[in-house]
Amino acid sequence: MTDATAAVPAARKVPAWAEGPISVVFALVVSILGGALIILMVGENPVNVFGTLLRGAFGTPERVAGSLLQATPIITCGVAACIALRAGLFNIGVEGQLYVGAFAAAWIGFGFQLPPVLHAVVGLAAGMVAGALWISIPAIMRARYNANEVVSTILMNYVAVLLTSYLTIVVFKRPGGWSETEPVAATAHLMRLIDGSRVNIGLLIGLVAAVGLHLFLTRSSAGYSVSAMGSNPKFAEYGGVRVKRNIVLVLLASGAVGGLAGGVETLGVHHRFMEGFAPGFGFDGVIAALLANGHPLGVVVVALFFGALRAGSLLMEVETSARREIITVIPAFLILCVSAQFLFRRRGGVSGERRWRF
Amino acid sequence: MTARKLLSGLIATAGTLALSTGLVAAEDEVRVAAISGYFSQGFGISIMQGLEQAQADLGIDLTIVDTGNRALDYEEQFNNLAQGSYDLIFVMGWELVDALSKTAEANPDTRFIFIDGVLEGDTMTYIDFLEEEGSYMVGALAGLLAQEGVAPFANGPELGFVGGRDIPVIRNFLMGMQQGVADNAPDVRVVDVFAGTFDDPAKGSELAMALFGQGIGTIYQAAGPTGEGVLQAAAAAGAFAVGVDIDQCPSAPGAMLGSMLKRADIAVYDVIEGHVTGTAPVVPGTVQVGVASGGVELKICEDILDQIPQDILDQVEAIREGIVSGEIAVALND
Repeated sequence: MTDATAAVPAARKVPAWAEGPISVVFALVVSILGGALIILMVGENPVNVFGTLLRGAFGTPERVAGSLLQATPIITCGVAACIALRAGLFNIGVEGQLYVGAFAAAWIGFGFQLPPVLHAVVGLAAGMVAGALWISIPAIMRARYNANEVVSTILMNYVAVLLTSYLTIVVFKRPGGWSETEPVAATAHLMRLIDGSRVNIGLLIGLVAAVGLHLFLTRSSAGYSVSAMGSNPKFAEYGGVRVKRNIVLVLLASGAVGGLAGGVETLGVHHRFMEGFAPGFGFDGVIAALLANGHPLGVVVVALFFGALRAGSLLMEVETSARREIITVIPAFLILCVSAQFLFRRRGGVSGERRWRF
Repeated sequence: MTARKLLSGLIATAGTLALSTGLVAAEDEVRVAAISGYFSQGFGISIMQGLEQAQADLGIDLTIVDTGNRALDYEEQFNNLAQGSYDLIFVMGWELVDALSKTAEANPDTRFIFIDGVLEGDTMTYIDFLEEEGSYMVGALAGLLAQEGVAPFANGPELGFVGGRDIPVIRNFLMGMQQGVADNAPDVRVVDVFAGTFDDPAKGSELAMALFGQGIGTIYQAAGPTGEGVLQAAAAAGAFAVGVDIDQCPSAPGAMLGSMLKRADIAVYDVIEGHVTGTAPVVPGTVQVGVASGGVELKICEDILDQIPQDILDQVEAIREGIVSGEIAVALND
């Protein structure tokens, strides 16, 4: 806490590595005690409830697969948010990019006939293009007119959800049935990894994206210029980084990965587009990126934690008498405690014109 | 009271019988679960009432699962339930059909009871409300009032219909209403609109205002919370609305003509009771609930009842009897 440079990974001293895990454990203990208090207030046995949470997340191989399934979109959305975050930009519009990406991928899936593999690849590419197009307006407005991208990307979320609803209900609705499109052709399905589970190669795509981003940021000069831009845009510009061009490119890349997350959901999990099918995954991704302090590999860890919490709470609802309202509070409380601890640790030594530090 | 004693006696006997013959485990409570995203809304509230009544009267073990709104969760939620050794699992909501079908197929011995529709799987049980019958009565009542120009309900030869999403079950409401109007008030026309959502009261209100603005006197809504906006719009416009699923007369007193009740509470309770007492164990197939069984009915709001001419009330009652006896057949042309 007293070490002001602790927040910069490159300058981190060896003892600082131990500081992290210890404070995470401390935060978990506090949150479990607090959660137990909430559970006692609704008249349930905390040991039983937390036991069910753990069993729901890790109890059987199927449940572990369920946790991975829940984590998949959060990983990819988190990577999308990370890309922008590292350049000192906020893409709060991952949610919207996920929706348009999901719809575009589904459209390729049900609207066209292509050979296997190629069909899925084209579908995911369409999702990425849609996500990039969706963020292009906020990106250009940010680069050219310095319009706040936080506001514009948030607003684009609403447009994306409503536009895809409109397209689903009015233009592409499957005759009869719920507000959803025709099913995606089998040639466009993403390969599943485990029998009897919907976990698919989308998980690997997310992991590759996270590792790829990590390598890009740490091993390439282009990656360095992006990080430099995030640390101090004026200095970066002075040093020869074309900041305006980079703002557009970084946001487009961020949006494309957001769209990819959506494509993975429709081609890998649902095999069709349903109106309003995934509320909140984009925001979960943004939270994961913030908690991980913009570190792509940290995003994977946080996303796995979120996924396990979600999968576990699904079983809690069936096996304990706690109602959904309470069950939603407990994971939220865990996340709050863990994130509060992260934010405390990051305080101190804020300097210069950085909008966000790493 | 005696009925309840008799009932508990029956359960006890059934329990000991089962125990002595070794048919079931020591657990003699019937375990019931219900899963939906709508337990806090109109029709879902009605289901909850039936479940809670059954819990109080029949001593069942009850688990409620709220699906939330993430499509990703549904399959795991159904799998969790299927592994939970429940005797009966009630399911409500069309968005769950896909996940339900998969789980039901993988667990053919689990008794899933889908409320409000008939699906393809033949291992499931379906409670099918004949909402078209009740809607026929709505069409007949509102149509007669409009045709005969009864103030304050009538305002020209048109009636309105506001649906939620354009899905088959909501189409059933509209078709029933249209038929009731066509058979009984041939000069009256039904103008229908769909909000595209069940969760947007503001949109419901907006659509209703537009219809009232066109000179429509009464609107029938089948749109869940979106329909709440229709009721509020009726009050604001000094016009009339017909509610749906539950008794919505108190929602906008003075601006409500009636409510088309789908008594999910009665239907759910009857199914559980039949299973618990053993008089009608739940088997795969369709349980139809219509005007005849009391599961569907038109309730005319009491505060405006005296403003409706007696001859129209008599005609509506005759129509009800006609539906019960089968003389009037409400058909769905889909």
